[in-house]
Amino acid sequence: MEGATLVGVGDVTEALSSEIVHLNRGVAIAINRSLNRQTIVLLSKLQGLTAVWLRSRGYLSLAIPPDSDRRKGKLITRLYKLFCHKTAATCSGLGWVGKNGLVINRQYGSKLSWATVLTNAPLDPDEPMMESECGNCDLCVTHCPSGAIRGHHWSMSEPRKRIVSYDKCLALKQKRQMLEGKPNCGFCVTVCPYSRKNGGTEKRSPESQG
Amino acid sequence: MADEAKKKEILEKLRNGVIQYDEDACKEGANEALEAGIDANEAIFEGLVSGMEEVGRLFEAQEYFVPEILMCADALYAGLGILKPHCKQMDLGVKGSVVIGTVEGDVHDIGKNLVKMMFDVAGFNVYDLGRDVPLDNFVEEQLKTDSDLVCLSAMMTTSMVGMPKVIEKIKKKNPNCMVMIGGAPTSKDLADKWGADGYAEDASNALKEAIKMVAFLKKLRDEQMAKQ
Repeated sequence: MEGATLVGVGDVTEALSSEIVHLNRGVAIAINRSLNRQTIVLLSKLQGLTAVWLRSRGYLSLAIPPDSDRRKGKLITRLYKLFCHKTAATCSGLGWVGKNGLVINRQYGSKLSWATVLTNAPLDPDEPMMESECGNCDLCVTHCPSGAIRGHHWSMSEPRKRIVSYDKCLALKQKRQMLEGKPNCGFCVTVCPYSRKNGGTEKRSPESQG
Repeated sequence: MADEAKKKEILEKLRNGVIQYDEDACKEGANEALEAGIDANEAIFEGLVSGMEEVGRLFEAQEYFVPEILMCADALYAGLGILKPHCKQMDLGVKGSVVIGTVEGDVHDIGKNLVKMMFDVAGFNVYDLGRDVPLDNFVEEQLKTDSDLVCLSAMMTTSMVGMPKVIEKIKKKNPNCMVMIGGAPTSKDLADKWGADGYAEDASNALKEAIKMVAFLKKLRDEQMAKQ
């Protein structure tokens, strides 16, 4: 089976609500969507393997599935929204939250799909990403057709800052869904210089050795 | 009839499936149980529920936490879905129906869902109103369904204060209906003070209390019928 594009371990203690406070390590798993694989299926498999591996060593784990793969009608589904993949991604140093509100990785930009496995295993955490590296670039701000992107600079110290107006973004997607039968937009991904850089042939960044 | 060793193995698989929150194992075990001719009720209680009891113990011992409990419950439901259609009428001595929900102002429903599961397992008719339920809805639903029991859950002291109001209204409209309360801030003392008939410390206690209450109700009704 093919592996993940990136894997990292983050110390996510600060971001946990009381129900999951014992699971203070987040294993962030990312797959490059442009590789034309069944991204979500693969992500689910990989996080399943991670959870089984941890359990076989006597640790607890909670797999938070990719956002687009949340099965309805399960009791555990209720807990998924307590944790956000961006937290694991930034805490494990795999990227920052860009002006487009998505995780941006130096090498792959925003083309990554994410899954997280929370665990109480005392894994050595990677260095977190503290500040945005978007710099003065405003391409996504100027190209966003819904005007949802405000151009805010993300920093780990202000995790709750509203970077994107999701109402505006959602309204546009709903309109497209009605008119074109598809909600797709994704300008903020394709326009990002980090996303356009390459197809993933460079060598892996040091942060990915989780 | 299934031979004993095989049966033990399958029940163990169901039990461990719940404890290890392994939905696939629970589904497999449930299908194997049916193929081997094991009584569905026995598979549920000696397999799945026995596993959930162990989960409760692990929770008390702080080896398991809320996520594990929920995953175990999902695994139990996976097995239950297969076994339940093959159940004979549950022979708990009583058959009851229950209205359950988390009171207005409270969106915490993990405990309520676990209690609901225990009622499901025991073959009760459960009318689940969900969470953040307006107080009057409990009264209306009870009247509509003529349920024997109403279960109120709250996780916050601020929402808990709605409970005595519901209890009073229900008792006024239907004095025979019983009310049970539960949730972190509640206690036996509060239940007594507010005129609730039962208080449940946890999910399995809720079921035991409920069975006792419904049994008492049936007895009361039988006595009245006998008099007429």
